Amino acid sequence: MRPYTFAQPRSVREALRGAGPDTAFLAGGTTLVDLMKLEVVTPERVVDINRLPLDGITLDHKGLHIGALERMSDVAADRRVRENYPMVAQALELSASAQLRNMASIGGNLLQRTRCGYFRDVSTPCNKREPGSGCSALEGINRGHAVLGTSDDCIASHPSDLAVPLVALSTVVHLASARGTRSVPLDTFYTLPGATPEVENVLRPNELITGITVPRSPWAAHSLYVKVRDRQSYEFALTSAAVALGMRGRTITSARVAAGGVGTRPWRLTAVERALTGRPATAATFEAAVVRAADGAQPREHNAFKPALLRRTLVRALTELQESR
Amino acid sequence: MPRSPVGREIDRVDGRLKVTGAAEYSGDYRAPERAADLAHAHLVTSTIARGTITRIDTAAALASPGVLRVYAAPEPIERLALYGVTGQAAGFTEPYIPLQTAAVRFYGQAIAMVVAETPEQARDAAALVTATYAAQPPRTSIADEPHVPAGPTISGSPSSLDILAPGVESIDAALAASDVVVEAEFHQNVQHHVGMEPHAVLAVWEEPDRVTIYAGAQIPAAYALGMAQRLGLLPQNVRLITKYVGGGFGARVVLWSDTPLAAAAARELGRPVRLVLTREQMFTLTGHRSHLTQTVRLGASRRGVLNAVSHRSIAERPSTMSFTMTPAHSTSDALYRTPNLHVDAQLAVLDIPGSRAMRGPNEAPGSFALETAMDELAIATGVDPVELRLRNHATTHPVSGLPWSSKHLEECYRVGAERFGWSARSSRPRSRVDGQWLYGTGMATAIYPAARRTGFAVRVQLRNDDTAVVSTGTSDLGTGATTMVAISGADALGIPLARVTPEIGDTYLPPGAPAVGSSGTHATVPLVVDAARNVIAELKRLAVTRDGSPWQGAAAEDLRYERGILHGGGRSMTFGRLLTAIGSRGVDMESSPGGDPIPGVIHHSFGAHFCEVRVNRFTGETRVTRFTTVADVGRVINAKAARSQLVGGVIFGIGHALLEENHLELRTGRLANSTLADYLVPVNADVPDIDVVMLDEPDPRLTGPLGDGSEDVGTRSLGARGLGEIGTVGSAAAIGNAVFNATGVRLRDVPITPDKLIEHL
Ligand SMILES: Cc1cc2nc3c(=O)[nH]c(=O)nc-3n(C[C@H](O)[C@H](O)[C@H](O)COP(=O)(O)OP(=O)(O)OC[C@H]3O[C@@H](n4cnc5c(N)ncnc54)[C@H](O)[C@@H]3O)c2cc1C
Ligand code: SF4
Repeated sequence: MRPYTFAQPRSVREALRGAGPDTAFLAGGTTLVDLMKLEVVTPERVVDINRLPLDGITLDHKGLHIGALERMSDVAADRRVRENYPMVAQALELSASAQLRNMASIGGNLLQRTRCGYFRDVSTPCNKREPGSGCSALEGINRGHAVLGTSDDCIASHPSDLAVPLVALSTVVHLASARGTRSVPLDTFYTLPGATPEVENVLRPNELITGITVPRSPWAAHSLYVKVRDRQSYEFALTSAAVALGMRGRTITSARVAAGGVGTRPWRLTAVERALTGRPATAATFEAAVVRAADGAQPREHNAFKPALLRRTLVRALTELQESR
Repeated sequence: MPRSPVGREIDRVDGRLKVTGAAEYSGDYRAPERAADLAHAHLVTSTIARGTITRIDTAAALASPGVLRVYAAPEPIERLALYGVTGQAAGFTEPYIPLQTAAVRFYGQAIAMVVAETPEQARDAAALVTATYAAQPPRTSIADEPHVPAGPTISGSPSSLDILAPGVESIDAALAASDVVVEAEFHQNVQHHVGMEPHAVLAVWEEPDRVTIYAGAQIPAAYALGMAQRLGLLPQNVRLITKYVGGGFGARVVLWSDTPLAAAAARELGRPVRLVLTREQMFTLTGHRSHLTQTVRLGASRRGVLNAVSHRSIAERPSTMSFTMTPAHSTSDALYRTPNLHVDAQLAVLDIPGSRAMRGPNEAPGSFALETAMDELAIATGVDPVELRLRNHATTHPVSGLPWSSKHLEECYRVGAERFGWSARSSRPRSRVDGQWLYGTGMATAIYPAARRTGFAVRVQLRNDDTAVVSTGTSDLGTGATTMVAISGADALGIPLARVTPEIGDTYLPPGAPAVGSSGTHATVPLVVDAARNVIAELKRLAVTRDGSPWQGAAAEDLRYERGILHGGGRSMTFGRLLTAIGSRGVDMESSPGGDPIPGVIHHSFGAHFCEVRVNRFTGETRVTRFTTVADVGRVINAKAARSQLVGGVIFGIGHALLEENHLELRTGRLANSTLADYLVPVNADVPDIDVVMLDEPDPRLTGPLGDGSEDVGTRSLGARGLGEIGTVGSAAAIGNAVFNATGVRLRDVPITPDKLIEHL
């Protein structure tokens, strides 16, 4: 770890005021401190934002509002979240470990960095960590890497479970900077790696996430998150699926579907949603709808299984959701 | 009257210290007298696998706050004063002197060491050290590099051998003449020991030529001897303290580069030095299980009776420390009766970190191959897997022809099958579905050698407060060895456990048994019995000779010792009172030499595993839902610790079957999964309740006579064979066989992961 200065402001204004190009905001620290120890990130100034008033969970006619500093465990345990947005609570509970969820914040979760082993090992080339140095994963061990949204410069998968249901539900992220506040749909908040994998989102330097809003929707309450991994707990997803269905009788009236573990960002599957809508909720519909879910996938040596596993994960999630009715 | 603690559920004597954090492991130990002086070291490791270091830039590290020294290759660092190791200790010492040459032999080798006032300063300065290399392409492929015969197995038998029935020309001919032939190839990647406690060392020099080392070691005596040679000291001037150890599994058998470096720096600086490896460094600096390829061919009659067994393997020979991997050893060459046998082990020299024995070193991978092939034979012949094994049951060892000292394997099958409900099984694959989950069951046999080791000693001291101290320089890796020493002492002396103080983990104690090869218990217990016998004889001698004793002048033969009390001539006295009466604080005696293995028999432990899994029919995750293990391990000394060992062994099997692998990058020689996020070991959620049964049949032919042989310690040695590894042997195969039964998919490459399964689901 390199030396840094440390501040603990009490207001958003104060937090933003002193922020410079080498500032890092510290929330739960479960990503940031790790990466500082590995010297993957080396901020000169660390601003602890835990005293800022960015907490609170509220549910109103517009939807669910969650402050950026709410802890993963608190959000997962919240009755309103569990009843109205079950797949959000499920995605949180299937993440990390109980200890980590007690520390980790919602804002930090959305900004966590990829688990690509080369990104985290400073002795290997990595374009995301050191632009222009090369991507070790292309010819290296890439079992956990993305197949969708990749580029020749980076194939790192997006690690967040939470972001998957949030993207499916058209969540909006609220941001604040010295220049004012703005709100951005989470889906466009994340950017593709292209030739600049070091840029992962549209957050400006020294812009804070203050909170998120998950819109109200008739289908969110009938939703499910499925996470596939080698180990039963404490592992990132090989693939995951967030599915929400609006139903009239046996007919699907609306569908929201997103996938994790396969994309360089949380991957909304609008084509699958369209293929489900207006059809009966049957195995045949599910099978047909997912056929093209992984179109455009670019598999590598060790992750060639991901398109098939993605399709299977989707069918499993849809089947399980349908059976839970 | 005290009941003997042997065989009961005994809490660890150090359990409370461990769970409250009061037990001081090597990295915790503070060296109280020299605490203010303590300096901290951190290693820098290579980022190529083969070549030479051309330059190391240490300027920034040297200028970093708190830094005392930066020792860096390529220049030989004379001030570290490290020397070669030869003779007996060489087999347990990494075979190159660290930081003394420019050569890089594997990715992750130590190339520099920073010593600073605090661990953080040392770590941060180490990150500023940069190296440049002249790199060569590393040798990384066991398939492509030239193969050499492995040489003798750990027990000294040939790793390549043919036993052919009269008139049979070759194993191929025997196979060709068999009605049914099964041939299968198996692969597994590099696996790691992953002890919970990181390797840590503290070196404290008392005098210029005398040092005390605190480090986790499985073979304390060899470790200390290796250190003495590395440091150029007399053997008696190195004292190793290894009181608490957070897991060995083979990784602490070897004196790796960390301990000599810390001790050498401490000598040069004139301060105690502590060095703690990072978790990442442990993956390359403290050994691994070689990745390997195995081919098993079985030939049998239509009824499943074996006619030929062939088991071949190719594994790594790292260019530095190398464990000779011979997976057919004690598996295919021991388990089943067969008229024709062929085993062969080859190695390929690779530029890969040093390898080392890992729990069930040959037997775990070897049994995965053999027991999977047996399951395939059961399918091919239509014979039930348990019945198939009974049909091929060996009553004498297939290679030596010797009978076993004790063997209750058939009973293991019977008890296990009954407890598990094996008969309710459908042998037709993929016939049990519950919602999304395909259910299946499988079984496998376990076998592990119980080779008795000799040359160790135990001291028993009787004290005048009616307590006893039992001392031996073995180490407790977390297995419960300390408690085993106390239990066997209490049993041998017939006094309550609470009055026995065990003392282990110090090379200044009588030389203790190594904690390897599941042999610590069966090597130690007879010595405790013998030392107790000797000290009781000495007590009687004092009783009849010393002033103050009521028996002075009587004949020792007329005295009888029973449960802590001497009786004779109508009088009785506890040993404590007697010692007080004669003005002695205590009397001690060591065990006698001898106790060599009984000739003409062979020793193994046995077991049978039964397991149920479910596999998701969409996404292919395998989850173990039930597990029953029945073990024939001789007498059980501590039922609680024994069950923990067997449960832990099975959990190793779950890791082996479903999770554990480190991918070697062929291009760079880097082990890609060298963190605990990327190298998956089972977590609690992966482990069902594991039902463990121990037959508790004492082995009557375990130990030969000790001392003058006047009393048959063999029969009093309790007949405990040891059980640290047998849970790991065969358990992975039982899981793989259950996966086949659940899905109809046979995977011969472990771990069995969703990506491999879904292709066939
Ligand atoms: C062992 C392990 C296992 C894990 N497993 C999973 C898993 O299975 N699934 C999963 O989804 N996640 C997993 N995680 C990741 C974990 O969820 C994240 O580390 C956590 O959510 C990050 O939140 P934090 O508050 O600790 O963020 P921090 O570490 O404090 O911050 C993370 C990043 O976000 C920035 N930041 C934080 N808050 C704000 C804000 N309000 N505005 C602007 N910038 C901000 C920080 O500067 C930093 O760059 C795992 C982590 C670990 C260590
Ligand atoms: S995939 Fe991305 S993060 Fe990983 S090495 Fe390549 S550039 Fe770096």
